[in-house]
Amino acid sequence: MADGTVHMALFKEDQVDQAAEAITRLREMGITDNEISVISGVPLSEHILGRPVSWTAVPWIAMAGAVLGFLAAVTFLVISQIFYPIRVGMMSSVPIPTSLVVVFELTMLGMLLSTFFGVFTESITPTQGPKGYDASITDGQIGILFTSPTHLDSDVHHRLGELGAEVVHRAEVKKLWL
Amino acid sequence: MAVEAKPLPRVDVTPGDVSETEEELRREHLMFDPLPRETMNRMVLESMMTVTKKYWIWFAVLGLGVLVLLLGFWGNQIFTGMGVTGKRRPNFWTMYITTFVFWIGISHAGTFVSAILRVFKAEFRRPFTRAAELMTTFGLAAGALYPLIHLGRVWVFYWMVPYPNARWLWPNFRSALVWDLLAITTYLLSSTIYLFLPLIPDLAMARDRTTGWRHTVYRILSLGWRGTEAEWYRLRKAITIFAFAIIPVMFSVHTIVSWDFAVSQVALWHSTIFGPYFIIGAILSGVSAVAIILYVLRSTMLHFDYFLRPEHFDALGKLVLVFSMAWAYFFFNDYLLTWYSGDLAERNTLLQHVIGPQSWIWWLMLITNILIPFATLWNKRIRRSPLAMALIAIGINIGMYAERFTIIPVTLGHQRIPFFWGTYVPNITDIAIVLGTFCLFIFLYLVTSRLIPLIPVWEVQEGQMAHSLKKVGSTKVPSVTELE
Repeated sequence: MADGTVHMALFKEDQVDQAAEAITRLREMGITDNEISVISGVPLSEHILGRPVSWTAVPWIAMAGAVLGFLAAVTFLVISQIFYPIRVGMMSSVPIPTSLVVVFELTMLGMLLSTFFGVFTESITPTQGPKGYDASITDGQIGILFTSPTHLDSDVHHRLGELGAEVVHRAEVKKLWL
Repeated sequence: MAVEAKPLPRVDVTPGDVSETEEELRREHLMFDPLPRETMNRMVLESMMTVTKKYWIWFAVLGLGVLVLLLGFWGNQIFTGMGVTGKRRPNFWTMYITTFVFWIGISHAGTFVSAILRVFKAEFRRPFTRAAELMTTFGLAAGALYPLIHLGRVWVFYWMVPYPNARWLWPNFRSALVWDLLAITTYLLSSTIYLFLPLIPDLAMARDRTTGWRHTVYRILSLGWRGTEAEWYRLRKAITIFAFAIIPVMFSVHTIVSWDFAVSQVALWHSTIFGPYFIIGAILSGVSAVAIILYVLRSTMLHFDYFLRPEHFDALGKLVLVFSMAWAYFFFNDYLLTWYSGDLAERNTLLQHVIGPQSWIWWLMLITNILIPFATLWNKRIRRSPLAMALIAIGINIGMYAERFTIIPVTLGHQRIPFFWGTYVPNITDIAIVLGTFCLFIFLYLVTSRLIPLIPVWEVQEGQMAHSLKKVGSTKVPSVTELE
């Protein structure tokens, strides 16, 4: 079914229930979750639309960044003391209380920068699922993109039309970034 | 003693009947007064695109201010030397450091309003989170200039950066000044990203409705945003990570700024509660500054009276009152224990604050930070008046500046050795550079107000979707649904 046509069903911003029902109907017609994608102007949780929860590597990238930040702090505090020893009265060369400040700042810096790095890289990486876009999405409309074989076209249009959707045959893929 | 509870707002539940209370709720609360998203988008874009003659006059005046007052006087200081400033023994930390602390304090507004209120799901935050986040970024940008200005020989700033070099110099990571560099860098970068992340969906909205250079810029900045489930999920995760992580960073920044003073042996600076005392002061000045900005935006930007309502000033007024009380508590705590300790040098310096030649600054601080907020903000009518709130907030920020001035040059001028006493009086260079950074802050805000949507439209719509009237017994009460 993956080589079928990509359609887009557009629902108005107050038709969340109908959008959820449309997804159920598409599943009943044999269209799998992988062949459906929802785009919206506000965050609608997967539970509201009865969709599988998405996955992102951002929290893991953030943790990796925190570890890198921590290691950078340890490098500055401990290893650099070997090459550039600085003697401060009444303090050991690596005093724990003052080191905690530097460790905290650099760990957080690493975590927050890498969170952004994660968002950025995932945003520009090609994604799976049906593509397509309509500017009315940022006007609050809910778009359901799905791939369906040609012989189901009229049935799909009829069933979604019943729910009040405006169905766009062959959703347009627009170049939205560089 | 019998206490009569205030009844819930009663709404007639007759089907199809729009009661007066419902109308009142709509007028009062943005969340109960939804407009179609298309209309809100149009309103926000119109406000961005509308540029009047008055705007250009302000643009020119502030731009000139930055050029002459900040860059001109700073350039002269670099060329001539630090002697052109009013710095003299014993006041080596003067208006530059005072203003540095002031701007870092202002920068706490964005994180407090956006991150803390987001974590606690305070709904009133929604329309003005971005305005507050911008204050953080620009406050930090203005504040971060001061270590450079104060440095004098600014061209050797890179000596602070740790890298192998032929000079055999290495930053001392046990110094509070190096912590400052790390903390401010961390906060500036993270708050800028925290401003950017929730902006992405609104930039996509602007991308879809603009042409020319604006369209190109928004297209690049919106990172190809379509609003897919995966994009929203990723954005929610990232914002949550930021909201939780940036709060301790915010606390660390002003704590470290306070340690610039507290790690020394200077009388009145060596205090264990300087960290929380500075943080409370920073949040007080930051939240007050948000009230000022909201007043200006509401008065000058098209359609903003729909988004920014008396309810928002009311909520900010309550926060300001609470933080004013908290600040008074910390101030008194610091004052009392220092006074009680019996240390002659500290008592003399305290006395200098209260009855010395610059004591009017200390009294001004108490009047604007405690007396005026306590006397006014308990009153709902005052809190709901944008103008009154703006005036009180301006007073608080003057008071907070006075607090920092008292802590820094006034305290330094009256230390342990009497032959080393002196009164700092700012000269034209000090004043010009300080005014220059105020011009810079307002100028950056002015320019940005026409470049990015200052209202987070998707957050407002999300809030409006979550709010409804729920029938409880014979009445309807406002309720909020958890959509996430």
